[in-house]
Amino acid sequence: MDFAVQVNALVKVYDKKVRALDGVDLDVDHGEAFALLGPNGAGKTTLIRILTTQLRPTAGEAYVFGLNVVRNGSKVRRLISYVPQEMSVWTDISGYENLLIYAKIFGVPQLERAKVIDEALENMGLTNVKNDLVKTYSGGMIRRLEIACAMLIKPKIMFLDEPTIGLDPAARKVVWERLNVFKKEYGVTIFFNTHYMDEADLYADEIAIINQGKVVTRGKSEELKHSLGGEIIVFTLEKTALKPDLVQNIRKLNFVKGIFEDGNLSVLVGDAESTLPNLMNILKSEGASVEKVSITKPTLDDVFLKYVGTRLEEKGRISDVTHMRDMIRKG
Amino acid sequence: MMEGLKNMLVMIELELRRLRHDRTEIYTRAVQPILWIVIYGPVMSSVKAIPTSGVPYTDFITPGVMIQTTTFVSIFYGLTIVWERESGILKKLLVTPASRYSMVIGRSMASGVRAIFQALIILPIAVLIGVQFVPNPAYFLLAFIVIFFASGGFAAISILVASFMKTRERFMGIGQAITMPLFFASNALYPIQMMPPILREFSTFNPLSYVVDAVRGLLITGDLSNLLIDLVAIAIFDAALFILASISFRRIIE
Repeated sequence: MDFAVQVNALVKVYDKKVRALDGVDLDVDHGEAFALLGPNGAGKTTLIRILTTQLRPTAGEAYVFGLNVVRNGSKVRRLISYVPQEMSVWTDISGYENLLIYAKIFGVPQLERAKVIDEALENMGLTNVKNDLVKTYSGGMIRRLEIACAMLIKPKIMFLDEPTIGLDPAARKVVWERLNVFKKEYGVTIFFNTHYMDEADLYADEIAIINQGKVVTRGKSEELKHSLGGEIIVFTLEKTALKPDLVQNIRKLNFVKGIFEDGNLSVLVGDAESTLPNLMNILKSEGASVEKVSITKPTLDDVFLKYVGTRLEEKGRISDVTHMRDMIRKG
Repeated sequence: MMEGLKNMLVMIELELRRLRHDRTEIYTRAVQPILWIVIYGPVMSSVKAIPTSGVPYTDFITPGVMIQTTTFVSIFYGLTIVWERESGILKKLLVTPASRYSMVIGRSMASGVRAIFQALIILPIAVLIGVQFVPNPAYFLLAFIVIFFASGGFAAISILVASFMKTRERFMGIGQAITMPLFFASNALYPIQMMPPILREFSTFNPLSYVVDAVRGLLITGDLSNLLIDLVAIAIFDAALFILASISFRRIIE
């Protein structure tokens, strides 16, 4: 059986300059939720837009359920539904009318239409506002309406570009519970980009981390965390103490598997108990005074930090997107 | 094919639903044409400077002013498209099974629906100030069908422009640059024979002139001798613009 998504050596170059995708290889089994994590400009949205037949790749090939997205675009479009990152509903008609228009475009038979629409509204908790104009909705309600649109047909695969951006944690949880039920009941594959690390951790069956147009690692969340091995010791140091020399010296130690600094100094080691005294001594001899030490198991955050080199900035990014969506909404 | 037609009707339905919720734009856009026929028309007719072969001047310009408004509505319909491009609506529409041409023609004809309402609102005012219409319902019906299809063509121009001008400001500028010359170099306010020879040449290629001529014949003069030519010209205009706009539509989201 074909993969739900298969991508071979995919390259996308914008305006002959910007290399958004630089040889991506990926395959996604059907029926799973697949998360694409990456910093801004990593190529996440570009990949989704190629898979949804909006953009042509510069080189390489992409298939959705065995159909080539360039040669069989119109067949692919019959199998998928898509929620773009930007706001994608008409604000001057009601939520119900938005779904009605899409149901007609998707060719939902007339007899089933009302039932399908009510179901989608119910799923996303919008039943009591269905006849209100969308411009009176909150940002979160609009996002839910967009997901309801994507649920109207039972697609084989849903492409969601930052599906829960700007939603509060409770609303995100509800959305994902519904998506999970949808996935289980109909065997829908869910391919999504996200900036929420916990969302990928909790809801994705598999995760790929993408950076500078390349997939740098992939696997189940647990596997990724295990792949780092061992434990992480986080030292909170005085600001002035974090010198490049110090970092270099620690990196040279043979029991140190990895080191990241992002204000704090995080050291990945096989066993924290036996290595901590040694590290403390080195820090002391370099004249760095330690304010606090903590030992943790690697999290997805650490995985991200190891492969991408920076932490995923959630805050700035999310407020950017929600701000943009607000601007669009107000016209 | 059937599916394409069905999707076009859905796009028209969308427009009607929008209009049902908010008609302010129809009213505000009616102000300007009403000024033309209530003030400019009577003033100019008292000067008697423009030969209109026996038709009162206000009557003569009423179809022209109607077409001018509907054309403006259609040309600026592209603004809606630009807004939908800035938001994710167009991306989402282009990822549905609906074909590109059905989206383009559907949206264009949706603007035609808007144009019909825009033209209708001028009629009672015109009657009030004494414009004499040909009392034939069939002619009226045909006139509005002409307005519907012609507006679709002008809206296709605006979709074509929108796929090149990706910001609203730029679009506004180019919109003005298209509509004003179309209007003044047409027979909307004066017969083509009065124009300097170069403009007369240009006017032969001005789709607006054919539309005004057809609607003027049907609503005011009852002279249908040019109607066939007018209809053929409008059909060619529509077909050409629908094809061009469909081809360029894809680049709108790239």
